[in-house]
Amino acid sequence: MKVTFPHMGNAWIVIQTLFESLNIEVVVPPMNSKQTLTLGAKLAPEAACLPLKLNLGNYIEAVRDGADTIVITGGIGPCRFGYYGEIERQILREAGYHFDVVTLEPPDGSLRGLAQRIRYLAGEKNSWASILKALRFAYLKCVALDQVEDMIHAARPRLADSQETERLYAEGKKRLAQAMTVKGIQDSVRSIRQSLHDHQMAGDKNADKFQKPLRIGIIGEIYTILDPFTSVGIEEELGRLGVEVDRSIYLSGWVGNHIFQGLAPGYRSIRSYPSHAKPFLSHFVGGHGQETVGAAVKFAREGFDGIIQLFPLSCMPEIVAASVLPRVQETYQVPIMTLIVDEHTGHAGIQTRLEAFVDLLERPSLKDISETSREGVSVVGER
Amino acid sequence: MKIGFPRALFYYDYFPFWAGFFYHLGIEVETSPPTQRQIMEDGLKKTSDETCLPLKLLAGHIQALKDVDAIFLPRMVSMEENTYNCPKFLGIPESLLSAVPPEIPVLSAVINWRKGQRQVLKDLRILGMQLGKSGAEIHRAFLEGHEWQQHYQDSRGGEWDFEEKMREIEYVTRQTTKTRPQNFSVQLSENHQNCQKDLKITLIGHSYLVQECYANLNLLQRLREHAEVNLIQHVEREDVEAHLSGLRKKLFWSHAKQIYGAGNKFVEDPTVDGIIYLTCFGCGTDSMVQELLAQRVRKHHKPYMVITLDEHTGEAGLVTRLEAFLDMVERRKVREGYVSAYGECLDSHSNTL
Repeated sequence: MKVTFPHMGNAWIVIQTLFESLNIEVVVPPMNSKQTLTLGAKLAPEAACLPLKLNLGNYIEAVRDGADTIVITGGIGPCRFGYYGEIERQILREAGYHFDVVTLEPPDGSLRGLAQRIRYLAGEKNSWASILKALRFAYLKCVALDQVEDMIHAARPRLADSQETERLYAEGKKRLAQAMTVKGIQDSVRSIRQSLHDHQMAGDKNADKFQKPLRIGIIGEIYTILDPFTSVGIEEELGRLGVEVDRSIYLSGWVGNHIFQGLAPGYRSIRSYPSHAKPFLSHFVGGHGQETVGAAVKFAREGFDGIIQLFPLSCMPEIVAASVLPRVQETYQVPIMTLIVDEHTGHAGIQTRLEAFVDLLERPSLKDISETSREGVSVVGER
Repeated sequence: MKIGFPRALFYYDYFPFWAGFFYHLGIEVETSPPTQRQIMEDGLKKTSDETCLPLKLLAGHIQALKDVDAIFLPRMVSMEENTYNCPKFLGIPESLLSAVPPEIPVLSAVINWRKGQRQVLKDLRILGMQLGKSGAEIHRAFLEGHEWQQHYQDSRGGEWDFEEKMREIEYVTRQTTKTRPQNFSVQLSENHQNCQKDLKITLIGHSYLVQECYANLNLLQRLREHAEVNLIQHVEREDVEAHLSGLRKKLFWSHAKQIYGAGNKFVEDPTVDGIIYLTCFGCGTDSMVQELLAQRVRKHHKPYMVITLDEHTGEAGLVTRLEAFLDMVERRKVREGYVSAYGECLDSHSNTL
């Protein structure tokens, strides 16, 4: 049995760790690319959402490395993701790929069924204690990854050389992927923090315009915001434009809530979002629709300069959220932009919109500067 | 008190319940007029582009409700155990508040059968408090609504006509005798006369698309002129449950479950000559179910056509496709399904054969 799984941003590092520490043979599919999407879009129903198309592409690319079993999580929420496992199984079978699909969820609410599925994957040689230990370790790694990612978010607008920042990020991810002990994880996080700090110290002297960058909160559908290929590298792009990015959902927050059913909070827990969303959307709508609205409110209250909502075309919960967001925008006077991605999304289009949005956000602060300077040279005129 | 009930989305499946409910409480229910161009245009203006046609229509119908004391927009979370409605149902009323005229208040109620009847009654009592009705009254009204819904569902099938039935119900709920709407009586007369039709076509789709004769350009009526039409809405629940096999995981949307189960039944039925799947652009649940059903159809070699509606659907295009499809089905029937042996290999992945 060779297990494979769909990509979602950095999730592969965590999933690979989990399977490897249980001695399960695992195939990490090639990273999401245009090729992946083309392969997936060919098989997927035209109106399906983008993650489904990428998932299918991932599996087909993993076949080349001998993968024969797919592991995916499920759910019974009204979001389509809950049905991915089954529809992917049928589509792949129809297309002539013979995969075994294991959906990690309690079938019809039976925990026994879930235990059987885990047992099927883990084989007989792993005890429950070692499975739990592996889960815990993977979870710790997940939190560490999120910490690193958040540091990079802060570093991007502050470090002078953007390519150097990306290199540090890649290196950090590599170190974490290889860490196999708790201490190793802690050490990697510490060393990344240190090297980022060093770089900032080195660059700080000649760049004080980076002192207080604009802050933009990114909200929306989880797959799209976690996966840089799907989001067309929006975080990196914004970082390069000198914007500090924060995100509503981090991987471990989702894992803690969705897979551990709230037993573990994760980095940046998503538990508080529904209460923030209450005045605007009082009922959950599946997926992360309510969380999106809640996160927008939270970012607005924290004084973020702007908010960007990101979701794949035809995503049902996010469409509901999108139709509520104008009221958040009005209440808190915070600009919110909605970006929708699908298989035809082009890099240049997104880039142009981001630049325009950032320009708009920068304008009020620039106006202040120009006005004070006018006063300084005592030009006649009213404010 | 007069409550406005938009003739869209949940109207098509659950109106009898609400009609009975409010009738018992002595509250007059005013439904918006049937969809026409103005309603659609108003709806388009007040909703985001990404949302689906039925929701856009709902926004239009909300604006068409004039002279009412409140607009009723229930949040129908779930209609049976272990299922949900589409997320867009769950987002009502918040996602549509922009379409509501500012001077009219919105009444809402959560209906969530996942948590059982107790919870449903509890949520209805909250609505009752807003209306100034006691818990006991709400309970009786609930039973009355339930009865109406049951009666409505039992009466479906055969020569049954949706609009006629609805008019009956609306007539009662209006209580005060008013002139009945005349403008859509064209529908009725013809289809009862020549019942001897050779073709048997199944029209699959959400009730709010199949019965929405403005948005679907009178598709149902056009079909009925040429063929005997089966609707999945008329299939009994037990029948639906019996045809859900082949899925390892239960579908968790109630509409999708009905569409797949009933659709599957017709796919397997050898007397059905062709299947038309009516969907709308951006429908999330249909994007999955359509694929599942298409696979079943391919296996059974049934003629199959998918019609996707949106606000730009043109009549000529629809009619051409419909005629071509019916011609094909008819020809296939005459020649007893004989297709050249080359055909299968050339076109094994298309939806038709």
